[in-house]
Amino acid sequence: MNSSTVLRRTIVSAIQQRQLSASLLPRTLHTSTAVRAKSITELQDAPRKSVEEVGLGRVNREKEFPKIILDVKDDITSFNGVPKEHIHERTARIYVPARNTMQSATNNSRTWKLDFDVRERWENPLMGWSSSADPLSNLAVTFSSKEDAIQFAEKNGWNYFVEEPQPVWKFKPKSYGLNFSWDKKTRVSTK
Amino acid sequence: MIRPRGRMLNTVCSVAHHHFNPSSSLVLPTTTTRSLSLGQPLLQAAKQPPAVVPDNRVELFIDDKRVLCEPGTTVLQAAAMVGVEIPRFCYHDRLSIAGNCRMCLVEVEKSVKPVASCAMPVMKGMRVKTNSVATRKAREGVMEFLLMNHPLDCPICDQAGECDLQDQSMMFGNDRSRFTDIKFEGKRAVEDKNIGPLVKTIMTRCIHCTRCIRFASEVAGVDDLGTTGRGGDMQVGTYVEKLFASELSGNVIDLCPVGALTSKPYAFTARPWEIRKCETVDVMDALGSNIVVNTRGGEVMRVLPRPNEDVNEEWISDKTRFAYDGLKRQRLTLPMLKNAQGVLEPVDWEAALTGIAAKVSRVEGREIAALVGGLCDVESLVVLKDLLNRLGCETLCTEEAFPMNAAGTDVRSNYLLNTKITGVEEADLVILIGTNIRFEAPVLNARIRKAYLHNNLRVAVVGKKTDLHYEYDHVGDTIQALEQLANGEHKLSKDLAKAKKPMIIVGSSSLQDADGAAILANAIVLADKLKSGSSSGSSDHDWKVLNVLHRHAGQVGALDVGYTPGAGKIKELKPRVLYMLGADAGVVTRKDLAADAFVIYQGHHGDAGAEIADAVLPGAAYTEKSATYVNTEGRAQRANVAVTPPGMAREDWKILRALSEFIPGASLPYEKLEDVRHRMADIAPHLLRYGAVEEANYFKQSHALVHGSKRPSHSGRALAPPQTVLEDFYMTDSISRASRTMAKCIQAARHHKTTKYSVS
Amino acid sequence: MSSLASASGLAPRVAGTMIRREVTPLLSSSKREVRLRVLNLYRSWYRQIPHILMDYDVPVDQDKCRAKLKEIFMANRDVKDIRAIDMLVAKGQMELRETIEVWKQKTHFMAFFRDSVQVKKTDFMSKFLDQ
Repeated sequence: MNSSTVLRRTIVSAIQQRQLSASLLPRTLHTSTAVRAKSITELQDAPRKSVEEVGLGRVNREKEFPKIILDVKDDITSFNGVPKEHIHERTARIYVPARNTMQSATNNSRTWKLDFDVRERWENPLMGWSSSADPLSNLAVTFSSKEDAIQFAEKNGWNYFVEEPQPVWKFKPKSYGLNFSWDKKTRVSTK
Repeated sequence: MIRPRGRMLNTVCSVAHHHFNPSSSLVLPTTTTRSLSLGQPLLQAAKQPPAVVPDNRVELFIDDKRVLCEPGTTVLQAAAMVGVEIPRFCYHDRLSIAGNCRMCLVEVEKSVKPVASCAMPVMKGMRVKTNSVATRKAREGVMEFLLMNHPLDCPICDQAGECDLQDQSMMFGNDRSRFTDIKFEGKRAVEDKNIGPLVKTIMTRCIHCTRCIRFASEVAGVDDLGTTGRGGDMQVGTYVEKLFASELSGNVIDLCPVGALTSKPYAFTARPWEIRKCETVDVMDALGSNIVVNTRGGEVMRVLPRPNEDVNEEWISDKTRFAYDGLKRQRLTLPMLKNAQGVLEPVDWEAALTGIAAKVSRVEGREIAALVGGLCDVESLVVLKDLLNRLGCETLCTEEAFPMNAAGTDVRSNYLLNTKITGVEEADLVILIGTNIRFEAPVLNARIRKAYLHNNLRVAVVGKKTDLHYEYDHVGDTIQALEQLANGEHKLSKDLAKAKKPMIIVGSSSLQDADGAAILANAIVLADKLKSGSSSGSSDHDWKVLNVLHRHAGQVGALDVGYTPGAGKIKELKPRVLYMLGADAGVVTRKDLAADAFVIYQGHHGDAGAEIADAVLPGAAYTEKSATYVNTEGRAQRANVAVTPPGMAREDWKILRALSEFIPGASLPYEKLEDVRHRMADIAPHLLRYGAVEEANYFKQSHALVHGSKRPSHSGRALAPPQTVLEDFYMTDSISRASRTMAKCIQAARHHKTTKYSVS
Repeated sequence: MSSLASASGLAPRVAGTMIRREVTPLLSSSKREVRLRVLNLYRSWYRQIPHILMDYDVPVDQDKCRAKLKEIFMANRDVKDIRAIDMLVAKGQMELRETIEVWKQKTHFMAFFRDSVQVKKTDFMSKFLDQ
């Protein structure tokens, strides 16, 4: 137990102070003075506010982390902890939800949605609630564009297919007068 | 006034490329437009040469956003173009303008009173304010009046959660009313009307938007609904108690902005917020209407339409909407095999497949036959064909027949609705041959009616005279009449030949017997005659005239992958093994098979097919599988899984794939659905171009075969479609036959016939 | 790629495409650097195995632990993106710390060996019959 104290302390401090490289690597390899870990979400190159902008910036990121050129394919499946059976065997569906015909407003049909192939659901015998054994059944993510959704699916290693939105409503001018035009069939008797 | 034309044109041009929200690009920066309208020419604008005004579009400003629109557009439509949604109750895009709810009042500059934007045509330079103090005050006032008599029963109202009145009162209403009930009369109460087994009415909730009335008289074509009384005593209803006798009646439930008209079968069963939605397609008719299946806890709770301009606009038929309870009854949930006593007995999958494989392997491939029904998806059709072809079987037939003389189904244009559904809106003449389109494709019939109202579409009918909800020229009801028309000898011939864009729609229901060949051949001759007559005057040389309207959702898919239409070949062969895939029409009976024949039925309902089977394999219904259906236009559409198949039922292609494993030498290589779809792409790539119509051609060649050969003889029988009255509409396939709601509809329709209020 | 996929209606295997582009590194800026991190982590684990076994009363010996350690590392042999490797290393560090600090229970440690996990068959027929 005692013999491991030194290494333990090293690792502990490395993680706490985020100085992994300083402690575990030879000095020559050390490219920055204070190395910070980045959040997973920053792996994706989505537009994000810089640290300075949100008021947390104590260091100049660009200087600390000079960008590097890589041949990359965004893939987080190796470390995101999702079981393999929910990666390779799932198919995501990327689509624009249709307008609910029960209502006249259209706001819910303006973004892209991603959800998954349906697995079995059943009624919970005790409470009558809906049950499912599928961890992805409640994952419904909204995106502002198809490309974002595709990127998200690719990054997560899911199969996916894209359903293009339905053809848009062809605009036709309408007029109140048609109700009363004497020579058209649009004139109707019942009102 | 100088306008920065160049810039404006650029933005307008970008519309075409902007797919998703076409309207947004019509907006110009507010500052520019504002300063211009004040007559202060910008330097930049002044430098540009004055551009030519491209069209007669009217320029107006909605919330300071500039809109250019065609004259005659209403303010409400113009606002929608720039993404400004004006609250409304009575206005609906697909109905005429009523202008009676007043919810869409907006302030227009220089106008003394608020303006009802749904009925107000745009005027040049109009400045509309949709969110000003005056507008909001007007809306609050309207809402106050509406809520004066509207019950506060949202907690027990089925509409709650997707109610326009609820949402708009939250958004635009006031939290208290100035109205005090000084006489302590309470709110207005209206008696509920009984208009049939589908639509539940709670008339106290009605706000008199008249959408249902307009739908009934304009789209459905039945003048059943109307108003009586006036002012506070106004009531919407049928005046006398009678059935709302329309095959599209369920759509008024969607249209109703409040909870006055709700779904009777769905009443009190689920709430919108606990429901999951699955966008898929319908299989109750061959149109492939787009639908949203609403599910909760693995159960289909209701079916709603999904707007698709090219297929069903936003209507669906009552069968599509209400037959879903048939998905929960009469289902096959366990594999079954006949035991020694000849009784079907539940077994597990392994035993069932082993038993079937043993029987199948014992006979020669050519003694096997397959018969598929009308609800089959392309995936299972392809896998079944691959499996049986491997065994050396070539007799794969569909239940629905199609004349095979001349080009038959070898040329795709022969069996498609070639002009597409939207073609109806361009056409100036539709000739319906042997189809009661009102029941075989109610939504298409609604579109014909729409064209009849708005484009003065002329309709002619060859076949039994039935009420189609629009006026038509009746050519005759026999094949002779059709022949006369084709030969140009009929008294209407000359008149009809004037059409520039004629459409001929032949119902596949009339092509089922021996006379089918003659009917189709005459239709083709007529089509060519009309085409040659029209192309001289019309600019559209690609206009296709001949159309076939199928009755079953799976038929075009089956023909596309090479199934033989009609069970004739099976009856000739007398097979020793018959594989029935969802074949429930009862076309083939035991008498048509060898005496010791082994019949396998795979499907989802215990219907005619399972009745004669020795082995039953439970499959998935259309809401339970990811599958491809090709509609009557040749449009491939994807159905998605809304719920999983019940019990031990499996997706159909998987059953066939699993069976292949048990038959020596027939094992199929498909592991996943994608593998099957790759195979489909090999056979016909269009099967995977979802949403798109794969058009057919070779009219000339196939028609030449008809002209070249002698016109087939016929019995001269009357052209009477199998569905003629409303009660025939409701039960046509194994799902709708199992539906209680459909049974109630038939009962109601029969009762309606006996009342004096029945029209037909 | 994607439009082609949707046009053909086939759900593509989500290979995605390798694109050369500028990215922000997580920790390491080169392959060599990340390799050293991995080796460092491996070494740390390797050296800790005797101590871990002292801390936990588990029915495995050093050889089995070493074999498992190798197996777990080799499971990610195909990961080439240095940012992902950095991430895996960081997670490995966390695991290591949790283990040697005895923040884990016996069962957590034994979970590395997955010997109680029933492996589901993935071939078509087993899935069809067992569904």
